[in-house]
Amino acid sequence: MSKTDDTNLIERCIGGDRKAFEILLVQYERPVFNAAFRMLGSRDDAMDVTQTVFLKVFENIDQYDPSRRFFSWIYRITLNESINWLGKAKRLQPLKSEVVDDGKSLEQEIDSANLSKDVQAALMAINPDQRTVIVLKHILGCSYGEIGEILEIPEKTVKSRLYSARQQLKDVLTRTGAY
Amino acid sequence: MAILQKYLDLINADIDGEIGDSDRAELQAFLAESAQGRALHQELALLCSTLDDVDTIDPPPHMRHMIMNAVKPIRAIPQSQGYLKKLFAMPALTHAITFAVGVVLTLSLLSSGQISTRAFDDVTGLVGTIAEPISVGVSSAVSFDKPEVAGKVSLRRSGAMLILDMDLVATAPIEIEADYTDRTIWFNGFAQLESTGTRISTETGRVRLGIEGKRRFAVYLQNKAERDTTINLRFLVDGKVVHEANLDYTPTR
Repeated sequence: MSKTDDTNLIERCIGGDRKAFEILLVQYERPVFNAAFRMLGSRDDAMDVTQTVFLKVFENIDQYDPSRRFFSWIYRITLNESINWLGKAKRLQPLKSEVVDDGKSLEQEIDSANLSKDVQAALMAINPDQRTVIVLKHILGCSYGEIGEILEIPEKTVKSRLYSARQQLKDVLTRTGAY
Repeated sequence: MAILQKYLDLINADIDGEIGDSDRAELQAFLAESAQGRALHQELALLCSTLDDVDTIDPPPHMRHMIMNAVKPIRAIPQSQGYLKKLFAMPALTHAITFAVGVVLTLSLLSSGQISTRAFDDVTGLVGTIAEPISVGVSSAVSFDKPEVAGKVSLRRSGAMLILDMDLVATAPIEIEADYTDRTIWFNGFAQLESTGTRISTETGRVRLGIEGKRRFAVYLQNKAERDTTINLRFLVDGKVVHEANLDYTPTR
C-alpha cells in the first residue's frame, strides 16, 4: 500500500471512520502478527501484542506524524510492545516456542515445522535487539534504510547490528546441529 | 587469517541486494582470491535464504473481530480520567469485581435451587483461573469466525473441575447452549472478566448462556468421576443455530 493510501486512511480514521481503520487492520494484521510471533515465540502472546498494537494505533492515530511512513510507525509500536512483553514474560515464566500448523502436506509440514522450530529457537536465543533487526529484514522484508527509519538509528548501525545478529544466529544453529 | 570488516560488510550487502556496482566489482575481486571469503559468502547466503523461507503464519481468524469490537467503544466513551475511572482501571479492583460478579452469580444460582450445595467448594480459587489460564491444562479448544460470533472456546481441567473458558465477540445477542454427555457432571459455577450482562441458566446436562458484545467468561463443571465426556456447544441467534462445535475431555490415566 502506498504512503498516499495510508495517509488517506489515517485522515479518515482521525475523522472517526471505523471502516478506514478496518482497511488498515486488514492490510497490516498479518505482518504485525508475524513480527510479534517471531519476537515472542508464542502464538497466544503474539495475538495479545497484535491487539495491543492496533488499539494503540487507534487511540493515538491523531499523533501519527504524516512525514513518516505509516508502516514504520506501526512496526515500531509492534517491536516496542513485543520487547515490553518479553520483559513481563521474563518476570513470570520461561519463554516457549511453538511449531505452527499452516496446512501443508505431512512431509512438507514436518520439514517446514522443523525449520521453523529450529529458526525460532535460534531467534529466541539471541538478544532482543538483534532479533528485532532479523525480524525487520527477513520477516517484514525491510531495507537497511527502512530499518533505520523504524528503529531511528543510522544505517551504519543497522548494518553492524544485522551482521552481528546473523553471525550469532549461525553460531546457535551450528551449535544445536540444526544447520 | 580473519576477513577484513570491509569485506564482511560487502558480503552482507551483496546478499541483501544492497551493493553498488563498484563495491560489487571489489567484492568479486576479493572472493576470487579468498577461499575463506567464498565459504563465508556461501554460509551467509544459505542462512539468509533459510530466514527468508520461514513461512508466514495466518493470524487467528477471530482476531480481527476482537480488535474491531474493542476499538468501537474507545471513540464513543469520553476520554476523561476522573478519579472513579482511574480507580476502576486498577487491576486489583478489576479482579475483585470479577470475583464479586462470579460469587453473586453463583450464589444467585445456588439460591434458585438449580444446583447442589456441594458444588461450591472452590469457586473463589477458580475465578483466578481465567485470569491466569496457563496454570491449568487445556484438553481441547476451538476457534471460529462467523459473522454473528467469533472467538475461542477452550476446555480446561483443574483437578476434578472442567472449565469452559470462552473468549467471544458477538455482533448480536446470542444464546449459547453447552450440553455435556455425561450426566454425572454438574454445573459448579461461573465467572467473567471485566464485563457484565451475561445471562445464565442451567438444567441437568446443559448450561445456557446469553451474551452480546465482547465477553470473557468461564463455566465450571464438576467431574468428580473423572470420566470421558464431550461438550457440545451450540450458538443460536433468534433460535437458529449459527455455529456448532464439540470439545472433548479424556482423562489422563
